[in-house]
Amino acid sequence: MEEFVGRLWHRFVTRATPCGYEAAGVELDEVKPALSAYHRALGGASAQQIMTAWHRPIERKRGRAKRLPGLRRKHMLSWQDEQGLYLPPKIAYYPEKELNESLYFWLAALSTQVMVVEHWLIDNLKASATLLQRYPGLRNPYQELVTATIDMAASQIHLSDRDRGTGLIELLSRPEYGPDRPFDINQPVAIPLWLYPAPRREVCAEVIDDLAQQDATSGKLIRLPNVRRQAFRVDDRRKTDGLLVFKMDSLFSRAEQVNVDRLQDDTMDDDCHSAAHDLDIISLSRQRRAGGSNVRFDLDLPSPQYDDLPVGDGIKLREWDYKKQRFRPAYCLLQPMVEDRAEPSALPSHLREPARHLIRQFSSLDLNKTSKNRQPQGEEIDLDHWLATTTDPEQSPDPDRYYKSRGARARNLACLLLADLSLSTDTPLDGDQRIIDVIRDALLLFAEALNRTRDRLAIYGFSSVRNKQVRYHVLKNFAEPHTDQTRGRIMAIRPGFYTRLGAAIRQSCDVLKLQSAEQRLLLIVSDGKPNDIDHYEGRYGIEDTRHAVVEAKQRGIVPFCITVDTDGNSYLPYLFGNNGYALVQDATRLPSLLPQLYIRLTSANRHFQ
Amino acid sequence: MATGTYYLPQGHEVDIFMRAASKRLPVLIKGPTGCGKTRFVHHMADTLGRSIHTVACHDDLTATDLVGRHLIGAGGTYWQDGPLTRAVREGGICYLDEVVEARKDTTVVLHPLSDYRRVLPIERTGELIEAHEDFMLVISYNPGYQNIMKGLKASTRQRFIGLNLDYPDEPNEVAIVCQESGIDREIAERLVKLGNDLRRLKDLALEESASTRLLVYTAMMIRDGLGERQACLSCLAEPLTDDTETLVAIRRLIEAHFE
Repeated sequence: MEEFVGRLWHRFVTRATPCGYEAAGVELDEVKPALSAYHRALGGASAQQIMTAWHRPIERKRGRAKRLPGLRRKHMLSWQDEQGLYLPPKIAYYPEKELNESLYFWLAALSTQVMVVEHWLIDNLKASATLLQRYPGLRNPYQELVTATIDMAASQIHLSDRDRGTGLIELLSRPEYGPDRPFDINQPVAIPLWLYPAPRREVCAEVIDDLAQQDATSGKLIRLPNVRRQAFRVDDRRKTDGLLVFKMDSLFSRAEQVNVDRLQDDTMDDDCHSAAHDLDIISLSRQRRAGGSNVRFDLDLPSPQYDDLPVGDGIKLREWDYKKQRFRPAYCLLQPMVEDRAEPSALPSHLREPARHLIRQFSSLDLNKTSKNRQPQGEEIDLDHWLATTTDPEQSPDPDRYYKSRGARARNLACLLLADLSLSTDTPLDGDQRIIDVIRDALLLFAEALNRTRDRLAIYGFSSVRNKQVRYHVLKNFAEPHTDQTRGRIMAIRPGFYTRLGAAIRQSCDVLKLQSAEQRLLLIVSDGKPNDIDHYEGRYGIEDTRHAVVEAKQRGIVPFCITVDTDGNSYLPYLFGNNGYALVQDATRLPSLLPQLYIRLTSANRHFQ
Repeated sequence: MATGTYYLPQGHEVDIFMRAASKRLPVLIKGPTGCGKTRFVHHMADTLGRSIHTVACHDDLTATDLVGRHLIGAGGTYWQDGPLTRAVREGGICYLDEVVEARKDTTVVLHPLSDYRRVLPIERTGELIEAHEDFMLVISYNPGYQNIMKGLKASTRQRFIGLNLDYPDEPNEVAIVCQESGIDREIAERLVKLGNDLRRLKDLALEESASTRLLVYTAMMIRDGLGERQACLSCLAEPLTDDTETLVAIRRLIEAHFE
């Protein structure tokens, strides 16, 4: 009976809310690539990504219907912050698909006119007016959107306040006039055409989370389907929080007996994903449960006797601070390190066959084919030489060589392979392998293959612990030959710490510049975005890395990134350019793909992508 | 010889080029495709009253193609000067466009011409030609358009006076588009704004930016009566990319600029 009444109640109070047109709906994922390009073309910050918004409540005066219990409405708002532009995962407000799609593009365009929305009404009106003035072609689509929006929302707006609704309609239709009459601008209304202030962040910025990522071997990550959750960091560092410190008898309480089957809910490990699905806001606690086996900490650097041998006192490198738009000079301390305890090792047995195959391929490969004149045999007649010999037989050094043939030409190329050895490479792949194992195999095979060419190769790995120690592991430098010693060092790589990519790129460029080569290639093998446990995450890390990449290009070095991060498409074009990276969807294929990619990159054919 | 070639200076390039010409120094022009490198050289040739010998360099271009070769005629073989040799003998500007495309050994023949010696040795005929006093060597390339295997040797680069051209700033580009196509200023302004928006996509969604040349072509088509949106789609969007998603974005962008 209760359920029946509940259903009736729900139907009654939700009647006023607008229903969607599911069939005409457009999903964000469908339009994301085009939207992203559109946003950037109109001047949107390149480091901003298009992200999925979530339902959030909006404080406003509600009509009688909305004051009823069970209906604290949440809205699918759009907003932006410095990391991204947050748009609804699906838009199905209007009956026509074109309009729904148009709304995505309108929001992307609007976001380029206002960096920070402080006021829901004033900022949106100003931004809309500027946008329409700058892009006259948007006027008609905008008016269509406004008309459709008014139709859609008419009942909703009129329910609460007819005058107010009329005022809003006027403003929407003519944003350039602004609110010209008394208008309650402090009661925000959810309008799909507008951007709203970003949700307040409750995370204490100055507190550094020293906990490392959870050991992913404890279980597979369960990804919730295309839904984001708002995060809320609970300040639970004080151990006394949550304890009742007053006398129990002063606590007023009313007990009820509720029959709840908690057996299943109590199995926290198994049900956390279903709980996550039900929650709107996920509170992040700093207190970990006692399940120590599930959580992996790297509280500090390894003790010196177990760590690699540091070489020298370290190198100070600058870092780009995008907020201040200037470099922080000598901000990162990069420490070159050598694994001095690594035993010389032969190539592991499972790699011998692939290595043989690659060596055969590289040996027979004409990495830079070009036509050679004056050959004893070939595909074309060398008419020039024949003429030269005919006109002046005495001066001609090769009288019988009248052919042109296509063959290899010696080239002068230095390649530095920089591998990401951060803790995230500890993530397991399918089967027994982790990402680090795949990287190790890739490095080993790559070194074997290049050993057969005349190209010079150096291999370095890196990880970082804040700016204080960017660990730069020398696996094989340019000067030493590839031997069991270098193989042993590559075999000994292990994951640890974080990814301060900018510093590692800068140092690699310095190393490459010492090589007197015509071409210098910096190959970066990575598994994710640049990040570290200080401020080096999100846009800061990306902007610093981009600067390092641009510096490398200016110095005549060609940077190229190979990633196994499936989200790489969202940020790598900004870092390396459209043709400056390759995404390996199946990480286990990295060892075989890396040498192939090298061939494509360095062949004489320019269009290697 | 080109006459009356229109060129709107972006900075001091005209002055620098004039000085280099008077001091008989070779010039290297860098810049993205369609920014006006070739136009600039033609304009300077007009200004200086010199002839121009242009060579569009390609993958298989050899020193022979520049210097000259023996050909077979009715009366046997005869020597035919290449464009470089002709410019060296007669005077004038020898312009090697996209020089990085040529084979590496090609640029070496430029070395004795581009330093104090100003001579061109021709191996085949045994000649050593001293450059005409009006001879000037100009090379150009697009630095953003490189494969790792394509580049200019430091020993070659360091013989030239460098000029870096880029797309003109907005008012200048509007003036250029108006001048070249005869289109209304208002449409030119919108086209240039669209061009600048598209340039933000360089390296993100587009390999190359929308060049001034493409904007001029678009303007010419509009001037001829093609609809604005259609002209932009055909002259700007389609030549820039084949990627469907990027085309959608560009189409939206065009629609935002043109009603």
